[in-house]
Amino acid sequence: MARRLMLALFSALFVLYVAGPVLWLLSSSLQMESEITAVPPNWLPPHPGLHNFSAIFSAGDSAEYVNRGIAGFLPSGAANLLPSLYNSLQVGLWVAALNLVFSLTAAYAIAVIDFKGRRATLYTVLATRVIPDIALVVPMFLVIRNLGLINSLGALVVTYLAVTVPFTIFILISYFEGIPRDLYRASRIDGCGHWGALRHVYLPLSLPALVAALMFAFLTSWNEFLFALVLTQNVAAQTLPIIIAGFVMDFTTSFSFVNAAGVIAILPPVLLAVIFQRYIVSGLTAGAVKG
Amino acid sequence: MRLRLSYDDRSAAILVFPVLAVLLVVAAYPILYSFWVSLHDIVLTRPLRRPFVWFENYERMLGDARFHTAVLRTTVYTVVTVTVTTVLAVGVALFLNESFRGNKLLNALLLLPWATPSIVNGLMWKWIYDPTYGLMNALLVKLGLLDSYRAWLGDPDLTLFLISNAAIWKQMPLAALLLLVTMKAIPDDLYRAAKVDGATVFQRFVHVTLPALKPGLMLVLVYETMISIRHFDLFLIMTQGGPGDASYTLSWLIYVETFRSLRFGTGAALSYLLAMLTFLLSWLVIRALGERNA
Repeated sequence: MARRLMLALFSALFVLYVAGPVLWLLSSSLQMESEITAVPPNWLPPHPGLHNFSAIFSAGDSAEYVNRGIAGFLPSGAANLLPSLYNSLQVGLWVAALNLVFSLTAAYAIAVIDFKGRRATLYTVLATRVIPDIALVVPMFLVIRNLGLINSLGALVVTYLAVTVPFTIFILISYFEGIPRDLYRASRIDGCGHWGALRHVYLPLSLPALVAALMFAFLTSWNEFLFALVLTQNVAAQTLPIIIAGFVMDFTTSFSFVNAAGVIAILPPVLLAVIFQRYIVSGLTAGAVKG
Repeated sequence: MRLRLSYDDRSAAILVFPVLAVLLVVAAYPILYSFWVSLHDIVLTRPLRRPFVWFENYERMLGDARFHTAVLRTTVYTVVTVTVTTVLAVGVALFLNESFRGNKLLNALLLLPWATPSIVNGLMWKWIYDPTYGLMNALLVKLGLLDSYRAWLGDPDLTLFLISNAAIWKQMPLAALLLLVTMKAIPDDLYRAAKVDGATVFQRFVHVTLPALKPGLMLVLVYETMISIRHFDLFLIMTQGGPGDASYTLSWLIYVETFRSLRFGTGAALSYLLAMLTFLLSWLVIRALGERNA
């Protein structure tokens, strides 16, 4: 009995701590500006509505926003939110797709083939992840600038590819090593080359790890801020976090609007995380037990 | 002489080439180039004048008061964040390792902070800490723990810890998941044997769980240290180094020096110093834990 009570208490604390802040953000995003600036605050929206969200999706037409009598200031960058959402989506999908192809082939080679320089390759790949982003961002800016690629989505995609690939290779290697070697031998005896073994044995058997890799690559690019901040300058390539950071640092922006933008940015990663929870957890913790 | 490569070597070379090419262009080359830049006096406002100055940038930064402040702030932030994250993660992992109804649901919930973009994490906590409309003031006053509203992030003694709190919220889940996986791998026999020997719950935790948890703990400590020491996003969105220099960390200093003052030479030198500090610290953590293991 005491145990059950303790567990119930811990569960409540846990939910409050983990979900509380996000629920508060969500509650604020469903309130009008006059409602969220009430003291003491409204814990739940008195008149919940999607007005902040519709304001974001019709931000090109700010007159309409004012006319509907919603007290609050629409930030000057509000119209950039939708294009940046699209940019984020594009970059995320490209990174996920390219990441999959690149890390799949490399992980296969490192895990399965016994070739000259195998260890050196593995260590090179892992070592690049030890360099702090903030240390890379200064030279990256200069390199990209000299190439004239500041403000291009392509530069972001290549950068994120380098950021995500070491970890996905690591996930896939630990997964590949768990696939029975006999299957590989059998496929080779049946006349498959390495390409055939990869396609007919490893690819179909490692679906969970591939999903984890895809999710990880997409979420990392969707959430990334520092490189995007430095490598993009206008709405042609700015991603969602950059636009939102601009709102937050602009003191005139209404909080109801910022909170709604935050909810929009949080939704895709959280939905993906919930749907693919099992794969993500097994991917993230791959290799943790081996120590 | 002809280099003869086997079928295996040739295939591997083709399969590995794309990744190595990307990493060479986007990681290896920039980091070497960065070293070259750090030996020059490059100020972007004067693009044609860029003299080679040897290690002058490093000397100047090592003697700069802002650098000393930044090292101090980064150290405090990192120690607090890593310690609290790890302790909290051990607690959460122990809790989720119990079997009870709703356990799976709580496990899924754990991914919520992990999936939250750091920028949204920053704006969310900034809103919670808001001096007039924030949740924190309202909650503490309602509970009677606070007499009047306070400007939380405006208090130089608290800022760093409040930012740390936001970081911990986001970083704890992954740490807890890693520890949970390690815990699940501990054989039940060990616990049963300890129970037979009359060990209390606490003794079982100290003598069975903790030793078996060591690899997971090491991973978490190294990973969290590396994340915290370089952290940037929350500092930009929540305080921009302020108030005063209360949250002036190394990554913030690098950003200001490079992208606001446009002094790329010193910015690159600072980046190198931070990279070396990161290596040194993770090495120390690994060694400290490794020794106790032996």
